[in-house]
Amino acid sequence: MSTNTPKRILIGKVGLDGHDRGAKFLVRALRNAGYEVIYTGIRRTPEQIVRTAIDEDVDVIGLSLLSGAHNELFARVAQLIEEEQAEDIIMFAGGTIPDKDIPHLKSLGFRQVFTPGASLSEILSALKEELGGGE
Amino acid sequence: MDAIVDNIRRGDRRSLARAMSLVDGVSDTSQALKDHLRRSTGKVPWWGFTGPPGVGKSTLIDALVDMLRRRGKRVGVVAIDPTSPLSDGALLGDRVRMMRHAEDGDVFIRSLATHHREGGLSDATIHCARLLELADYDPVLIETVGVGQNEVDVAPLADVCTVILAPGFGDDIQLTKAGLLEIADCVVVNKCDLPGSNRLLKEIHRELGGLPTAALAYEKDTKVDRAGDAAESTTDAVEIFGIEAKSGKNVEELLDTLFEMDAAARTPDERRRRNERRVLSEIRRGATVEYRRALEGELSGDGMAELLDTLQRGECSVESAVAQLVTKAADRVRQPEVSENDREPK
Repeated sequence: MSTNTPKRILIGKVGLDGHDRGAKFLVRALRNAGYEVIYTGIRRTPEQIVRTAIDEDVDVIGLSLLSGAHNELFARVAQLIEEEQAEDIIMFAGGTIPDKDIPHLKSLGFRQVFTPGASLSEILSALKEELGGGE
Repeated sequence: MDAIVDNIRRGDRRSLARAMSLVDGVSDTSQALKDHLRRSTGKVPWWGFTGPPGVGKSTLIDALVDMLRRRGKRVGVVAIDPTSPLSDGALLGDRVRMMRHAEDGDVFIRSLATHHREGGLSDATIHCARLLELADYDPVLIETVGVGQNEVDVAPLADVCTVILAPGFGDDIQLTKAGLLEIADCVVVNKCDLPGSNRLLKEIHRELGGLPTAALAYEKDTKVDRAGDAAESTTDAVEIFGIEAKSGKNVEELLDTLFEMDAAARTPDERRRRNERRVLSEIRRGATVEYRRALEGELSGDGMAELLDTLQRGECSVESAVAQLVTKAADRVRQPEVSENDREPK
């Protein structure tokens, strides 16, 4: 892959959850930080998310969910990514996620899990670190 | 490189997606792939869709993809959104309107950022369209950024160019200004459920030389000959449609017309002419980028201070300074010293 174009990030919302304020805030912040952001809109299936990530050849998938179904839906995304042998795509998760669920999500391959109160600079620097390490 | 091409031909989505990233950047492999694509494609129809932001370009393409799928077509889409002039980032949001096709293996949608190119397209557009053709997608739909009055790069690229408008964007003086309408093979007024659409349809008719028709309300309109002369050649005629992309109203008829116009452009002579036009615009674009890079290099180079000084002292005119700069930039193009990683200047 060429190094002279901006990194590409998919921001997606899976399942029955219309709360997109956070996702849209992040989309804007990531654009301002120099990333190319593909936003999927709300209520997408894990299949739609993964297919979009592959077609758009993104470096990172960021999933946001505030409905409580993260364990099921994020797991399905991780499973599809594995089936597609696309584990090189870095996965981030965010939303109203109880602390007790974080180890499980990390074991599924989510490198970072951001919960309410996470600051933008925290997210951006985690992203930079993950992306910087892979090149 | 051969392996990439083979994998794409075999239908491997990941290889196709990665090749698109490759041609979106600058590298030796990228160049080799571009050359290969230029030699091996050029048969599949490319349809361009352009118009101001918010008129419904993505929504119309979404509806067209749906109908093309019903007709058994494999559809490729390249959708372009602007790169931020401040951050180099971009929000690529066109496919939000097209997500219902995300699980369909016979649809491939790719979003591209302009990387500061003006004119409504990105440099990678032509290469991504060729990649889709290589992967057997037919037709390929190209969506420009939301354009103003002067971004017409899609015209030489597309076999059929559709300009999309919607009511509420200004009066007939806006239509008469040079630019967008002139490149249209087909003009679509979307959101025809909104007030003002009939009036806009009439104004477009008048603008394109047709007689002001009394009742155009909402059905497929008659063909209008450009500049009012009764040219018999179908390629000179502009089709005008009132549609509602969201409900799909009149979109099927539009699709039929796109196929008809495309077929009319498919004679061997017309094919050759269009391919020539496409390659010419590619060459012009490439030369412009190279020259502009050289010019920017000169403008920020060491020689500039001296030149400005001479100008200030009145020892040379602005015109002769321009002439010197042009020559120096041309020399720089002949002997490039720019590094590979230098993208085109902002």
